[in-house]
Amino acid sequence: MSIDPKQPSLLNWRTLWGLLFVAAVIWSLHLAGLFERDQVNVGGWTLVVRFLLAAFSPELSSEFLHLTLEATLQTLTYAVCGTFFSVLLGLVGGVLSSEVWWLSKGFQAYWLAVRAFLAIPRAIHELIWGLFLINIFGLDPLVAVLAIAIPFGAITAKVFAEILDETPRTSLLALLNSGVSPLNAFAYSLIPQAFPNLLSYTFYRFECSIRSAAVLGIIGAGGLGYQILLSLQSLRYEQMWTFLIALVLLSGATDFWSAMLRRQLGATSRLDLNVLNLSQRQKPLDQDHRLVSLSLFGVIVLLIFSFWYVKADFTKLWTPRTAQLLAGLIQDSFPPDISQLSQVLTLAAQTLAMSLLAITIAGIGGILLSFPAANNFLLPGGILDPGRNSHLGTAVLVFTRFFLLFTRAVPEPIWALIFLFVFFPGILPGAIALGIHNLGILGRLMAEVTENLDQRAARSLKALGATGSQVFLYGVLPCTLPRFVAYILYRWEVCIRATLIVGFVGAGGLGRLLTEQLSSFDYRGVIATLICFICLTFLVDLISATVRRTLR
Amino acid sequence: MDSNLSSNIPVPIFELKNVNKQFGSFQSLININLQIQAGDRVALVGSSGAGKSTLINLLNGTLQPSEGEVWVLGRNLASLRPKSLRQVQQQIGTIYQQFHLVDNLRVIHNINAGHLGRWSFLKAAVSLIFPRDVETAARALKQVGMLEKLYQRTDRLSGGQQQRVAIARVLVQNPIAILADEPISSLDSERSREIIQLLRQLSQDSGKTLVTSLHAFEYAHTYYQRIIGLRQGRILFDAPAEAVSPAMVEALYRLKD
Ligand SMILES: Nc1ncnc2c1ncn2[C@@H]1O[C@H](COP(=O)(O)OP(=O)(O)O)[C@@H](O)[C@H]1O
Ligand SMILES: [Mg+2]
Repeated sequence: MSIDPKQPSLLNWRTLWGLLFVAAVIWSLHLAGLFERDQVNVGGWTLVVRFLLAAFSPELSSEFLHLTLEATLQTLTYAVCGTFFSVLLGLVGGVLSSEVWWLSKGFQAYWLAVRAFLAIPRAIHELIWGLFLINIFGLDPLVAVLAIAIPFGAITAKVFAEILDETPRTSLLALLNSGVSPLNAFAYSLIPQAFPNLLSYTFYRFECSIRSAAVLGIIGAGGLGYQILLSLQSLRYEQMWTFLIALVLLSGATDFWSAMLRRQLGATSRLDLNVLNLSQRQKPLDQDHRLVSLSLFGVIVLLIFSFWYVKADFTKLWTPRTAQLLAGLIQDSFPPDISQLSQVLTLAAQTLAMSLLAITIAGIGGILLSFPAANNFLLPGGILDPGRNSHLGTAVLVFTRFFLLFTRAVPEPIWALIFLFVFFPGILPGAIALGIHNLGILGRLMAEVTENLDQRAARSLKALGATGSQVFLYGVLPCTLPRFVAYILYRWEVCIRATLIVGFVGAGGLGRLLTEQLSSFDYRGVIATLICFICLTFLVDLISATVRRTLR
Repeated sequence: MDSNLSSNIPVPIFELKNVNKQFGSFQSLININLQIQAGDRVALVGSSGAGKSTLINLLNGTLQPSEGEVWVLGRNLASLRPKSLRQVQQQIGTIYQQFHLVDNLRVIHNINAGHLGRWSFLKAAVSLIFPRDVETAARALKQVGMLEKLYQRTDRLSGGQQQRVAIARVLVQNPIAILADEPISSLDSERSREIIQLLRQLSQDSGKTLVTSLHAFEYAHTYYQRIIGLRQGRILFDAPAEAVSPAMVEALYRLKD
């Protein structure tokens, strides 16, 4: 057959990026010192054993449970108030940075300017915002609320803008052409149309806020994160497990509620929300409006309760003292001190390596665990239904889901502290901590993708006599893997930002330097480090976006 | 059953004995009895919801009957272990209305999926990177007239082209019987005729048994030897094509009893 079409060459973008990735991982392992130094502190194992044994006897005295409840409510209310403000900011910022808003006003490129401006608060991690705000407001719950609201507001604005820009415009244009003012036209066309997606994203943000509120505990903001840190440092592991369980329950309940509501709304999965693949809407289940209205009622009650409970002093926002402190802080911070530049650059390379190792762990682990965690996989009638022992499938599913929930509910810095029992400080424990936490997030997201998979192709392979593993290879992986990779790349952008927070507890990288500079009030050094860090995050964003585009 | 195979009485390719299929409380198929012999070309006609897809899925072993027995190639599917079931399924090729191909794979891999019942896991995995048996796949694709698309991504093809890829997969699978579940309902009339003709020619050339479910009656009459009329889960008639009268067809599609 001489007229056969030519086989496409194996040298394509995919292989190129694959090879680069392998090289990058080896480079990262080298920077982590894996090939030179001992990494494991043998003496730490006894602590690990004690820590693990304590899981079987968490402290459950009524007095202590009361304390746990208080800490849980504190974390919850931070998250609720933080989400509330971030959605407010997100709505305003989202409209202002959407292309369609400025088009409807007759201007052209202003949205680009607003978007560029919003990139800065987004690039700075909640924890840095927290440390910065503590200097102004002192140890006030306001710090936690604002530290969530500012960066999350900017993220929400970006996502809302993209949702608005992707929503069909015909009805908006019809209103505008009949002389309705842009604001009213928005309120009556685009916003209601985009509402299910906006609401879904809001709930997703709330899930993230819970995790952030816990992390903010480690800078002294109170709540579960703070209590976990205290009990960990004072080696009271039984108490720590009680707090951990509370955090897992809180986080799990939020995730569950949010997922159920999104299914009712027929909105996109978490993954699609994140990579803004809004066209992939699921069909709504048989709509149960009671759940939606009950949830909205619950939200209102939760909001009122939270604002009452959180006791944040919002008046501080506009006192002259705040302005003075802010001005003083800005004065102290400029010009940036670049005398340590070479050290900063070395640490930046380490930070990059840490994020690469972390995302490798999270990506591979997440992919592997996502399949047993999907409810259409091992269960009866699933893609890989083993047929005989259906209880085994259920047991595997429950166990994997719980494992994923646990790994993502425990905040990164807590994981880092736990791994620092056995690892010497450096980028490796930081990478593992970040990796484990993100594995939980990725595994769940990926399981959702598998659950929403169109199974007809897989079933047709089964019908022609393919084995379960072959069906997986031909009918499942080709459909899921590209989306997994895209999302892993997106998650890498989150990971590089989160390297800071494991740095704070002693893992290496720019985060550790930043902690040192902050504790010695070297604000000019802080600014220099932060600028370098933000450039690093933009670099990662750029690489991630480029790879995703060429792989599409 | 081996003794069955060696005896002179031909074993039917498919045999349904008193089959009922229920989904919840809904009776999708009611008391179905039928035999399909080697080399038969059978059209299964009936309006939407009559139970055609259910019947096809019983024949290829992806559904199990609620009552009764399904025998394929002389073996009772309910009594088979998974491995033997897969061996029987390897001998049955199925084509679907919505094609059911893996969108993200290149055409060659979708065609090579026809080998899966015979290939080891390792060979299947390697083939995804370095395609195996390219010659066979190319020959099959040429037979359906689309050789130039061998390395295209499947979701870039039109509906008619995807159905041809599905047929090429069945050619590579080389089964004893081909089932086609409304293979033309998603295609325009020009494409429909081509696909039906292609299916008939393939079964004629190689003597493969062909069972095609069709929503509309015209093609059944022209291209098939035997027509089974299905209505609300029951067989209304089962007759040679030339014996089917307009009155029978009218009864098949009548709305109320
Ligand atoms: N998996 C299923 N669950 C519930 N009902 C089903 C299922 N599959 C088919 N049915 C029902 O069985 C009847 C016959 O369906 P089907 O075999 O698909 O008909 P046809 O292919 O002739 O249109 C329909 O009423 C359909 O609703
Ligand atoms: Mg059908």
